[in-house]
Amino acid sequence: MRRILVTLCVSACLTAGFFLSRTVSADEIAARAKKLHFSSIVLDTHDDTTQRFFSKDFDLGKRNPDGHVDIPRMREGGMNAIFFSIWIDGRIMGPPAVEKALDQIDAVHQNVLKYSKDLVFCRTAEAVRRAHAQGKIAALIGVEGGHMIGNDIRMLRVFGDLGARYMTLTHFYNDEWADSSTDKPAHNGLTDFGKDVVREMNRQGIMVDISHVSDKTFFDALEVSKAPLIASHSSCRALCNHPRDMSDDMIKALAAKGGVIQINYERSFIDQAYKEAYDRVAGGVVAATEKITQECSGDEDCVSRKLKDLETQMDASGALPRVSWETIIEHIDHVVKLVGPDYVGLGSDFDGATMPDGMEDCSKLPKITEALMRKGYKDEDIRKILGGNLLRVMEQNEKVSRELQAQ
Amino acid sequence: MSRILRTTALGVSACCFLAVAVKPDAISARAKKLHFSSIVVDTHDDTTQRFLDGKFDLGARHTDGSIDIPRMREGGLHAIFFSIWIPSKITGQEAVNRALAQIAAVREQVRAHPQDLVLATTAAEVRAAHKQGRIAALMGVEGGHMINSDLDVLRHFASLGVRYMTLTHSGNDEWADSSTDTPAHHGLTDFGKQVVREMNRLGIIVDISHVSDKTFNDALEVSNAPMMASHSSCRVLCDAPRNLTDQMMKDLAAKGGVIQINYHVGFLSQEFRNAEKANPEINKAIGQEVQKRCGGDEACQLLEGDRLTREYVERGELPRVDWKKIVEHVDHAVKVAGINHVGLGSDFDGANMPYGMEDASKLPKITDALLTKGYSEDDVKKILGENTLRVMAEVERVSRERSKQPQK
Repeated sequence: MRRILVTLCVSACLTAGFFLSRTVSADEIAARAKKLHFSSIVLDTHDDTTQRFFSKDFDLGKRNPDGHVDIPRMREGGMNAIFFSIWIDGRIMGPPAVEKALDQIDAVHQNVLKYSKDLVFCRTAEAVRRAHAQGKIAALIGVEGGHMIGNDIRMLRVFGDLGARYMTLTHFYNDEWADSSTDKPAHNGLTDFGKDVVREMNRQGIMVDISHVSDKTFFDALEVSKAPLIASHSSCRALCNHPRDMSDDMIKALAAKGGVIQINYERSFIDQAYKEAYDRVAGGVVAATEKITQECSGDEDCVSRKLKDLETQMDASGALPRVSWETIIEHIDHVVKLVGPDYVGLGSDFDGATMPDGMEDCSKLPKITEALMRKGYKDEDIRKILGGNLLRVMEQNEKVSRELQAQ
Repeated sequence: MSRILRTTALGVSACCFLAVAVKPDAISARAKKLHFSSIVVDTHDDTTQRFLDGKFDLGARHTDGSIDIPRMREGGLHAIFFSIWIPSKITGQEAVNRALAQIAAVREQVRAHPQDLVLATTAAEVRAAHKQGRIAALMGVEGGHMINSDLDVLRHFASLGVRYMTLTHSGNDEWADSSTDTPAHHGLTDFGKQVVREMNRLGIIVDISHVSDKTFNDALEVSNAPMMASHSSCRVLCDAPRNLTDQMMKDLAAKGGVIQINYHVGFLSQEFRNAEKANPEINKAIGQEVQKRCGGDEACQLLEGDRLTREYVERGELPRVDWKKIVEHVDHAVKVAGINHVGLGSDFDGANMPYGMEDASKLPKITDALLTKGYSEDDVKKILGENTLRVMAEVERVSRERSKQPQK
């Protein structure tokens, strides 16, 4: 109810505004937005769909009744570049972590091979552009958590060789060499080894992802890295005070070094009222996830199912406020107002988070383009946000890697 | 250490000068031309162990060991399989991780020397590298224990570019018997057979060096693609269980495979082997001294083993084996298995090299000797690398066919 009213009001006001100022009709904007969206590279830097590859019930090539991502819905939503996330529980460390991560990397490659008519595996920005020109979806890999290298820098190289193009320095827990934003500080940011990891990532052309890390880890990484950093799936702390989000100072520092923040759509990370209610009901999304992970004893498919059940149950109880997809736009706009249009992008957290109303899956992505257009964003700026900014950062990382390897 | 090697080389010169009145390294113009225009492939080099200290520079000429880029260039070695190896006794996840670390180390060397090296995973890529004047770097995993009985790990190795796997090393693994261990599985277990089939599907060449005769026969029966003995010699000339019998060579060839001759003196020379057997104390003493000098450093162990063996030879306590033994084994294998089924698998940096074949720079001597023996240029090319490339291409073809079939 509330959602519909809000939407109506917003579109009415926007339409009126545009009508008066530029005499462009709503339909014309919709058509122009559609055209812009479907001719752009729309790149999402964080999708947990990889976990579903291990379930017999999931088929990436078919339209699934649940979840957020599959090829038909990517096509429908014009999402043509996706980072499949490699993720295991942050408490699994050492050699078992390495092997599990490799199994997931393999699962991504197997799915790309299986659907080679639609997908193509990409390691460079240029490859992503080529894929787009061929009408294919670019599949990339990001490793979500430094614990997966098993405290061995050589395994980072192995991941890089297998196509990983970013690594988040931690997940919910500290790893052996970096502090997480949702754990008790143990290393005062990055350890010396952690700094070596960042340097080696630069050398290998693996983007340093500072989503999930503590503020101190962020600033340490920013100082050490020779290439721009990314926050693969984080939102703005000024709008929703969650430790997983970035403060304005962090966003400014990230942008000053050419990096990019990719907005996360998770309700608890974008809406302050929702986060507070969730904290009251379930002790916060991190604690709830932890509890469920323990109940499922590591079965990731079980985790996402139970999280979904919990969400449905809490939704039904009315304990949680509704969150509209337009909050995503507010976060994008906040970053743009803070540092300009060159440092923000999209990192949905599809299949790994609870989506706001109206952004139920990736087929809804064109709404973001239309909303930005209605806000008066220039076409070229919208293209940057949809994917251009991230590709620029990728190219920068490739350049730094080439330079470091030539030394 | 360089001093010892140089003194030795002078000794060789003097001896050969007297004996045949030709400088030992004098290669005919025809041999030179043939050798340096052929694709010379070596399917087994343990140089990888040297990469692990993080300091070894493959681009510099070294006074020890057998392989580096300058000496590969000098010897016209155009394609090299770097061996991924850890001792058989290391198993489980530690084995997997150490193997991955070695794969990473090989790939780092390739990245560090982009002018000279390029990673190759297919016969076509080896040919392309040769055309560009670059050395093709390939990888083989020497021992099935490194997959930790997990076909996923095998697939990870394939994704990282591994193109052969030796089913065992010196000890049995969980699913195959080695030629130098007490039989435990009566050849290949059912899982072992599954491993072979999956290797066919992935395009990883089945390597039967090191395995027991029964494992060899089992693998031959199961494999849908030709197999390779990446570094084995002829048992009829030297009765080491690591070598192949004439029958094994015939069977390998009948299925299109190839035997890559190993240059290790203990596999080439019956005389040397007899002396080792007659004085087991010598090997024991060498082993103890190696342990003392190297501890657990495997690269050091391999190089020091070679050095110490040579000291025993110099003192006359072990027989001196000449590089021409390699040519005898090649020639025997050609007579038994046919010209299309023999190649080179030196075991450089992992074994005791015969006199005159101290390193990769000496390889043109093999071409020269084969021409002198009356081999045609085409036949020499086959031995130098074309046979191996044919097996690779065939394994790739089988892999393409089998990947099309649905997975069980």
